[in-house]
Amino acid sequence: MLVSLKNIREYVSLEGLTAEEIANGLTFAGIEVEEIRKLASGTNLVIGEIKTCVAHPDSDHLHILNVDLGEKYGVEQIVCGAPNARTGLKVIVARVGAKLPGGEIKAGVIRGQSSNGMCCSLLELGVDAKYLTEYQQAGIEELPEDAPVGEEDVLGYLGLDDEVLNLKVLANRPDLLSLFNVAREIGAIFERKVTIPTVHEKADFETDLVVGSKTDKCTQFSGKEIRDITVKDSPKWMKDYLMAMGVRSINNIVDIGNYVMLTTGQPLHMYDADKLSAPNLTARDDYEGDFVALDEKTYKVIPGDIVICCNKKPMCLGGVMGSLECAVDENTKNIYIEAASFDGATIRHTSSRLGLASESSSRFVKGTNHFQSEFVLDYATSLIRKYCDGEAFSDIVTYQAEEYADKKITSSVERINGRLGTDFSPNEIKEVLERLHFKVMMGKESFVAVVPSWRLDVTCDADLSEEVIRLLGFENVKSVLPCLDTKVGALTLEQGRLKNIRFLLLDKGLDECVTYSLISKKEQNLFNLLNNEEHYGILNPLTDEREIFRTHILHSLLKVATYNVARQNKNLALFETAHMQSKSSRSTHLAIVLVGKEARQKEMEGIPYDFYHMKGLVEAIMDMLGVEASRYRFDRNKEHLDELHPGKSATIVFQNQVIGRFGELHPNKIAEYDLGKTSAVVLEMNLDSLLSAKVSITKMTPISRFPSVSRDLAFVVDKTIEAKDLIKSIKFTGKALVSEAQVFDVYEGEHVGEGKKSVAISVTYSCDDHTLTDKEIIEVENRIKFELTKQFKAELRG
Amino acid sequence: MQNEKLKAILEEGLKQIENANSLDDINELRNRYLGKKSELASMGSIIATLPVEEKKTFGQEMNEVKTKLSQAIEEKNNALKAKALEEKLQKETIDISLPGRESNLGARNPFHIVKDEMTEIFIGMGFEVADGPEIETDNYNFELLNIPKDHPARDMQDTFYIDENTLLRTHTSPVQARTMEKAQGKPVRIICPGKTYRRDDDDATHSHQFAQIEGLVIDKNINIGHLKATLELFAKKMFGEKREIRLRSSYFPFTEPSVEVDITCANCGGKGCNMCKGTGYIEILGGGMVHPNVLKMNGYDPDVYSGFAFGIGIERVAILRYGIDDIRKFYNNDVRFLHQFKKKG
Repeated sequence: MLVSLKNIREYVSLEGLTAEEIANGLTFAGIEVEEIRKLASGTNLVIGEIKTCVAHPDSDHLHILNVDLGEKYGVEQIVCGAPNARTGLKVIVARVGAKLPGGEIKAGVIRGQSSNGMCCSLLELGVDAKYLTEYQQAGIEELPEDAPVGEEDVLGYLGLDDEVLNLKVLANRPDLLSLFNVAREIGAIFERKVTIPTVHEKADFETDLVVGSKTDKCTQFSGKEIRDITVKDSPKWMKDYLMAMGVRSINNIVDIGNYVMLTTGQPLHMYDADKLSAPNLTARDDYEGDFVALDEKTYKVIPGDIVICCNKKPMCLGGVMGSLECAVDENTKNIYIEAASFDGATIRHTSSRLGLASESSSRFVKGTNHFQSEFVLDYATSLIRKYCDGEAFSDIVTYQAEEYADKKITSSVERINGRLGTDFSPNEIKEVLERLHFKVMMGKESFVAVVPSWRLDVTCDADLSEEVIRLLGFENVKSVLPCLDTKVGALTLEQGRLKNIRFLLLDKGLDECVTYSLISKKEQNLFNLLNNEEHYGILNPLTDEREIFRTHILHSLLKVATYNVARQNKNLALFETAHMQSKSSRSTHLAIVLVGKEARQKEMEGIPYDFYHMKGLVEAIMDMLGVEASRYRFDRNKEHLDELHPGKSATIVFQNQVIGRFGELHPNKIAEYDLGKTSAVVLEMNLDSLLSAKVSITKMTPISRFPSVSRDLAFVVDKTIEAKDLIKSIKFTGKALVSEAQVFDVYEGEHVGEGKKSVAISVTYSCDDHTLTDKEIIEVENRIKFELTKQFKAELRG
Repeated sequence: MQNEKLKAILEEGLKQIENANSLDDINELRNRYLGKKSELASMGSIIATLPVEEKKTFGQEMNEVKTKLSQAIEEKNNALKAKALEEKLQKETIDISLPGRESNLGARNPFHIVKDEMTEIFIGMGFEVADGPEIETDNYNFELLNIPKDHPARDMQDTFYIDENTLLRTHTSPVQARTMEKAQGKPVRIICPGKTYRRDDDDATHSHQFAQIEGLVIDKNINIGHLKATLELFAKKMFGEKREIRLRSSYFPFTEPSVEVDITCANCGGKGCNMCKGTGYIEILGGGMVHPNVLKMNGYDPDVYSGFAFGIGIERVAILRYGIDDIRKFYNNDVRFLHQFKKKG
């Protein structure tokens, strides 16, 4: 809402207040001022008269002017390019040294002719082009013949010496879309007297107009008839007034409609009475069909839209736009004026469906004051009488669904202070509410406040407390920490474990990312390693890049890798944890992407990331959570996955459930994601079952007092045999005597033959109750060798 | 020493040991003086030829010489060994300016740093951490927060819809309603950090995805002063002890009164500068007293219970704290950006 300080001064004294102070006061009272703008600006301005005007000898469009600037400044020569420069014209001159929005005016020589100043257009003084005619924009401003030559307060003379506040009117204060109410608000904040115009119009005749409503979406409808008006230009003061509020002048009758709306907040609609088939106007919501509006376009009206009909024929799309059929034009003589109340939600639907939002519709959407239709019509009448030469004015006819009653709120000083944490006295509270035009009746224990009709937002005593504090100031609120039951604030088990996982990965050198949840349809189908649950799609996406709520992180994290690799960040260890949501579940996922090398000593010692890096991270997470190795396993991926290397990937199975997949990225995918010639390993894991897993409390296991013995075994087996099976067999065969068995070398190559590999295992033997003898050890070892040979066709080496 | 020869052997031996330069020298001397074929060893046979009264003295003197020489040899041996080791170690000197091994420390996106820290601050004040879905129903996101259908406040938040009644939450406030529903009329003290979505085009200051931390306290006799003190404590912990806050009246449909909270500008300390547009203050969060309608709709008697709520933008706090100039930087995850944030705490 644009508020011209010049206009507002008509209703409230702003003496001694700067625009900044007013803006500050409003802002602290909850009405944010987004901008303070000058309507026009310029220094060193003076009104001059062109005494002579001759064509410049060396130019086809420039003129050499001698301009009389009055007694003080005499006559100056100015070179001017405006096509409308001519002898006798009164003009605005910016003298040398003038500071205009576009820059400073300097003395100069233009094609051999000295020029000391500039004749200005309003555009050059910073006036928005939308208020100017094309003629005004093309040349210099033509002042009236009686303009006083030598006058230096040019902006004042032009009525442009104004500052405009841009108020951010929040949804609770539609009343501030009225200049009268803004004046009341400023009056309350700065304790100034407010004078709102009062009008008393007498009816010249009784109108035949009948108004009514056949819908509960129009609860009130007032009308008035005016005869013999003349449509013409508005007076200058009104044009200026409207311009300062951001509205362009059209003609006197349209301008009066806008003027009344801007001052009172009530949108009006005017019908050409002679174009209606009968003197009746009824609000309905059952019309269906075409509607030709003022803008000459045809709109489809559907049941539910509010239309004002004359004999069931739509004459106006209520609160949105009038029809072409009964539009007021330059020949209009007799009019009906409508001041009605429409249901905001309906207007919101209609105007947004048809793309017809206006100052008027937005006021209905936010809410209008139902109590003031008579005042508004009288106010409009007084203006039409004066500026449209109206001859005869009817009485006001009104349809009203129900009697309006004052809104009364009962509260108490204790309740107000209790909510605010303040100790205002009854008088302070009464006084501040009265400043805001509440009527307050103080009782012994409680008080009753009558809410001013325009304050639609105040409905309960919490609202009253806000009124009190926004005017008296939050500095009066005592800052005291609440005295509540002592409680251990803490993360839940799941939240704590998630945090531990994140910090483990951070400590391992991985960087934690955050990416967008919305991805494209195509992207949703990429890297969906874990589930094919039905995903959510966005009904109204901004772009097709962001139309699916993802059910996996990996694609997004790989795109982060692409982004980084393109910027020469080639070694990457990235992870993200995020909440996933599909149509069937909500879960917490972890994704990891490792690209390039694990730079262990920066570039000096880099180990290319491989399958085992990722496996190690998973094992570290399990160890940290206390999930024993026996409770989870790594299986080879059973189904074919395009995303992962078929031989270097695995499925993580926890409690017989697949909870994750990981492995080296398929070479095709490395190319697809533009990662260059590099190794890349990825993981996607659903953490839910781990975050909530029951784990046992750690109990110490005694360590044998007797020395252990380690002996190495090396076998050649088929390449397809997995080390974990060899170890399982060794442990099983060795029973209690084998305390540990670990692979320390795997070799494939010419020495072991095609399709074979050599596996070296270090076996540790120990016993809880005595030191093992060589004989015992050899006996067990032989049994192990026998079993391995039998089970795996293993050949003992060396 | 009575035996001149022993005396001479000892003196000569000590001198030679003193002058030895290498471990080889020492080995040679050990053989020469203490070996089986040494002069000293050969002198053992003399004992038999000596008179009884001299035997004892000679034997004692011979042992003394042996011990002294042996001690001297060992001392010299140790000294030479130590010297040799020292020389060897000197030769092994490395370039200590080369990078350290295992020096990699992962970096948290500042988004997470701020989220973690804010969470810790409120946990320290006895808050619990609640959680809620990002895909929400219209009921939790709007209706139960006093924003009925067609309320003009819905225009304040452009919403991504899944269907008529399902949407991406536009704020973390639906967790207020969910928490109250669960608490069934009992006191509440929670925060909820989480992602939120609005139908905004991405640019330096707007993002279709961002995150908030929601706070909610419900109990008897809660007032605005409690909100003010809680947020004051938060602001000082988050931004420094010298920071002050101020409250400005504002509007949210689910709080009444509603406030915007400003904090003194870090750049100028409240004097006014470019960063704070000359006001000395920067807006950091919104909050207020829970609207009586919201309490009522969620099962609390507003005449008995009252509460405060607030919402803090996670990126906004990180932007202010670290001087980040573009909200998209959080979501690009350029590792050169991330690596600037390795510091814990």
